[in-house]
Amino acid sequence: GAQGWCRESRQIPGIVGRPPRRPQPERGAARAQIAFLQGERKGQENLKKDLVRRIKMLEYALKQERAKYHKLKYGTELNQGDMKPPNYDSDEGNETEIQPQPNSQLIWKQGRQLLRQYLQEVGYTDTILDVKSKRVRALLGLSSDASEKENRNQEPMVNGTESQMKENAMIGKPDLTDSASLLETFKFLENAAADFSDEEDEEDIEGREKTIIDTSTIVRKRVLSDSSEDRDTEEALKEFDFLVTSDEGDGESRSSGDGTDWEKEDQCLMPEAWNVDQGVITKLKEQYKKERKGKKGVKRPNRSKLQDMLANLRDVDDLPSLQPSVTPPSRPSSSRLIEHEINRTDEVEALTFPPSSGKSFIMGTDEALENELGLGELAGLTVANEADSLTYDIANNKDALRKTWNPKFTLRSHFDGIRGLAFHPVEPVLITASEDHTLKMWNLQKTAPAKKSASLDVEPIYTFRAHNGPVLCVVMSSSGEQCYSGGTDGLIHGWNTTNPNIDPYDSYDPSVLRGAFVGHTDAVWGLVYSAAHQRLLSCSADGTIRLWKATEIAPALNVFNDNQELGIPSSVDLVSSDPSLMVASFNSGHTSIFNMETRQRVLTLESGVDSTISSSCQINRVISHPTLPISITAHEDRHIKFYDNNTGKLIHSMVAHLDAVTSLAVDPNGLYLMSGSHDCSIRLWNLESKTCIQEFTAHRKKFDESIHDVAFHPSKCYIASAGADALAKVFV
Amino acid sequence: MVMAEGTAVLRRNRPGTKAQDFYSWPDESFEEMDSTLAVQQYIQQNIRADCSNIDKILEPPEGQDEGVWKYEHLRQFCLELNGLAVKLQSECHPDTCTQMTATEQWIFLCAAHKTPKEVWIYFVKSCNFMGQHYRLSKVSIKESSVAKLGSVCRRIYRIFSHAYFHHRQIFDEYENETFLCHRFTKFVMKYNLMSKDNLIVPILEEEVQNSVAGESEA
Repeated sequence: GAQGWCRESRQIPGIVGRPPRRPQPERGAARAQIAFLQGERKGQENLKKDLVRRIKMLEYALKQERAKYHKLKYGTELNQGDMKPPNYDSDEGNETEIQPQPNSQLIWKQGRQLLRQYLQEVGYTDTILDVKSKRVRALLGLSSDASEKENRNQEPMVNGTESQMKENAMIGKPDLTDSASLLETFKFLENAAADFSDEEDEEDIEGREKTIIDTSTIVRKRVLSDSSEDRDTEEALKEFDFLVTSDEGDGESRSSGDGTDWEKEDQCLMPEAWNVDQGVITKLKEQYKKERKGKKGVKRPNRSKLQDMLANLRDVDDLPSLQPSVTPPSRPSSSRLIEHEINRTDEVEALTFPPSSGKSFIMGTDEALENELGLGELAGLTVANEADSLTYDIANNKDALRKTWNPKFTLRSHFDGIRGLAFHPVEPVLITASEDHTLKMWNLQKTAPAKKSASLDVEPIYTFRAHNGPVLCVVMSSSGEQCYSGGTDGLIHGWNTTNPNIDPYDSYDPSVLRGAFVGHTDAVWGLVYSAAHQRLLSCSADGTIRLWKATEIAPALNVFNDNQELGIPSSVDLVSSDPSLMVASFNSGHTSIFNMETRQRVLTLESGVDSTISSSCQINRVISHPTLPISITAHEDRHIKFYDNNTGKLIHSMVAHLDAVTSLAVDPNGLYLMSGSHDCSIRLWNLESKTCIQEFTAHRKKFDESIHDVAFHPSKCYIASAGADALAKVFV
Repeated sequence: MVMAEGTAVLRRNRPGTKAQDFYSWPDESFEEMDSTLAVQQYIQQNIRADCSNIDKILEPPEGQDEGVWKYEHLRQFCLELNGLAVKLQSECHPDTCTQMTATEQWIFLCAAHKTPKEVWIYFVKSCNFMGQHYRLSKVSIKESSVAKLGSVCRRIYRIFSHAYFHHRQIFDEYENETFLCHRFTKFVMKYNLMSKDNLIVPILEEEVQNSVAGESEA
C-alpha cells in the first residue's frame, strides 16, 4: 500500500492542468538534438541500468528488512505490496503495478499520437539521424565541447586507474563551468524540462502496450526506455524518502536490537539477509540524488536541450516546476566518475580513520559498516566525492550518522572468567588475561568462519603461560612489542609479544617469557604502562603501588602507600595532562593523585566518604581523561564520578548502571566513555552531555560477576569487553 | 571478605581482593545457582572446598544432563592443567623432551605435524578444542560433541603420562596439591571415556589397592 501511494502522489501533479499539445516544429534544431542525444544515450544506458539495479536491490533489501522487523515485533506478516526480488534484466515488474488514471490516459494517447505522427512525418530513421548528427553538431558549434567531454568521461571507466581519476576530476572543473553556462542558457526551460520527465513516465506506461501494436520509430523507443529507467530510479528514491520518514521513530530503538543480527548476517551477501541501517540508506539516497543531479548537469547537458525542444513542441513553458529533484544542479559531481570498482577497500580505510577529525572516528565509520554488511558494490555508491559528504546536513542527521557498535567476534578459548584486556597500539590484535592462569593473544584479522553461526571465529594465536593462578590484568607497551601481566601470584610477568601471524601450534618459545618483576606480596590488580618514561605502574592487594622500569627486570623504583593509609589500591592510571603524576583509587573510596618522582601525595579527590572501610564505597576503576585534566572513577555503588584534577572537586556524579560499575575506557579522542558493569551491560556515554548513547548486553553472569574489563583500540575501530563467562567480545 | 550478615551475599572478587580471599564466599547450593554457568560454578565450588574429595566432585547434581556435566569437567581439567603446564615449562624444553613420549614404547604422533613435537601441541590442541566448543549450549550438548570428548581425554592423558614418566617430581608436587590425575583417572573410568589399557600412570592400581581389595586387574 505504501508504495502505491507514493507512485500515485507523484504522478498526479504531472497530469493536472496539462494543455493539449500543439507541435510547432523548429525542425532543423529538433533533428539535430534528437540525433545527438541518441548517440549519448547509448553510452549511458548501461550505466543507468546498473544504477537502477542497485537501487532496486537496496529497495528490496529494505522491504525484506521491514517485513522481518514487523514480523518480529508484531508477529504478523507486513503487507507492503510486492515482495518480489528485483528483476535485474527488465523493468517489467514495476511497470505492471502502475495504474494511471483513465482520464489522463486519454489525453496522453492523443498527445502521443500527435507526437508519433510528427516523427513519422519527419521520417527519420536511425541511419539518417546518425549521419546528420555530426553535421548538425558542427553547425551548432557544440560538437568539440561535448564530444571531448564524453571522451574524458569515458576514460576512467575504460582504464579505471586512480591517477586518471584524479586527472579527470581536475579536468572536470572547467568542463563544469562550461556546462554550467550551457545550463544557464537553458535555465528558463528548467520547469518545462522537469515537467517533461514526469510526462515521459506516463507515456512510458502506455508505450509498453502500444509499441506492440504500432511500429513506432526507433527514436521513440529509445526515448521511452531511457525515461522508464529514470522513472524507476526516481521512484526508488521516493520510496526511500517515505521509508525513512516513517521509520524515523523506530530507528533509534532499533539500533541496539539490530546489533545481534549483524553478527549473524554480516557475511551474507544475499539481499534478504541485509540488515540495512537507516542512516546508511539516507546517506546512500542523498548521494545518489546528488550523483544524479550531477550527471544530468554535467554529463548530459543535452538532455535539457531535448527537453527544451520537446517543450517547445508542446508549448508548455508556463508550467510550474513539479520535481525539484530533477532541477539541473549547480554543483560538480566528479564523484560519479568513481565507478564503484576502484580500490574500495582503500577508500573505506581512509574514511574510517581520518587522521585529523576526532568525531569521525566514531561517526565516519558507516562506510566501513557497509562494507562489513556485504553491501558489496553498493558501497561504491556512497564513496562519493568529499564535497558531497561535507555538505551533507550533519546537524539534522546526527543520530542517523552516529556510530553504532555491533558485535563482531566472540573469543571463546578461555576456560574461566577474563579479567583484563589490552589492544595492540596499531595492529588489530588483542590480549586477554584470564582466571584460567593464561593470557591469550588474538589476531582479529585471522578469522575462520564458524561452522554453525554466520559469525566469525577467532582462534587464539598464542597462549602465555607463566602465572601460577588467575591473571588479573594486562597492558601493552606503546610499541606493541612487549606486554605485562599481573596475577594473584603477586608477580608481574613481562612478555615479548610474538608475531601476530604465528602458527598457533608452533612449539613453545622460551624467549617469549622475559621474566617476572618481583616485589608485590599479594595479587596484582592493576597495571599501566607509561610510554613517556617506559615505566610500569602496578597496584596490588598488598596495599602498595609500585613503579618499575619496564625495560629491564629489576626491583621496583618506587613504592607508594606502603603504610596503607588510604586502604588497598584497586586501580591506578597515569594522569595524561601531567606525565609526572599518577592517580590511584582505593577500596576505601578514596582517590589520590601522586607525584611519581617525589612519591608525594599531591591531591586527594573529594570523595565524600568517611575513612571506615566498607565494600559499598569501593572504587573499582580509575582512569584519566586522555586530553582533559579529569579523573573518572567507577564505583561499586553503581556510580561513575568525574573529578577535576586541579581542584580535586567533584564535577559530575551519576548512577550509571544497575549494578556495580567495574570498568571504564575513554576513546582515543576523548569524546566517548565506555563503562562495563556486573549488570551484564556495556554503556557508551557522550562525555560532553554525560548521556548514554548506546547500551548493549554483552556477557552472562558467573556467580555475581559479569563484565570485568572494557577497552577501545587506540587507533582502529574496535572495542572489546571481557566477561566472567570466559568470553571476550569484540565490537565494530 | 565475607559480606555483613543480613545483606545479600555478593560473590565477587573485587579489585584489591587478596589472593587468599579469592572466592572466599559462602557456598551456594546448586539449586540456588540461577546463572547459566551454574555447572562450572558448582564444580569449582566443590573443588575449592576439598579437592581430594573426588567422589563428591564427580557426583553430578540431580537431574543434570550428563553430556554437559562431562564437558564442564573436561573444561575444568584443561583449566587446571595450565597449572601443571606452567610447572613443566621450566623443565620440559624442546631440546630435552623433543618427543612426546611417556615410556619408550609410547611415541605419539600428531596428525597435523609429521614429526613428533613436544607436549604443548597436544595440550594446545585439546585446549583449543575445548575452547572452540564452548559455544555449545550449557543446558544440553550434542551427541557428536560428546563423542569427541574421548579423544580430548586421550590427549589430556598424554600430558599426565609424560609428566609422570619424565618429570616425576613436578608431577608428584602438583598431584599432592590438586589430586588432578587421580580425579581425571576416576573421571574417565566413571564415564568410560578411555580404556583401562591406556591408563598407564599407576594410579588405578593404587586406588584399587587402597579402597577395595577385590579387582586385581588394572
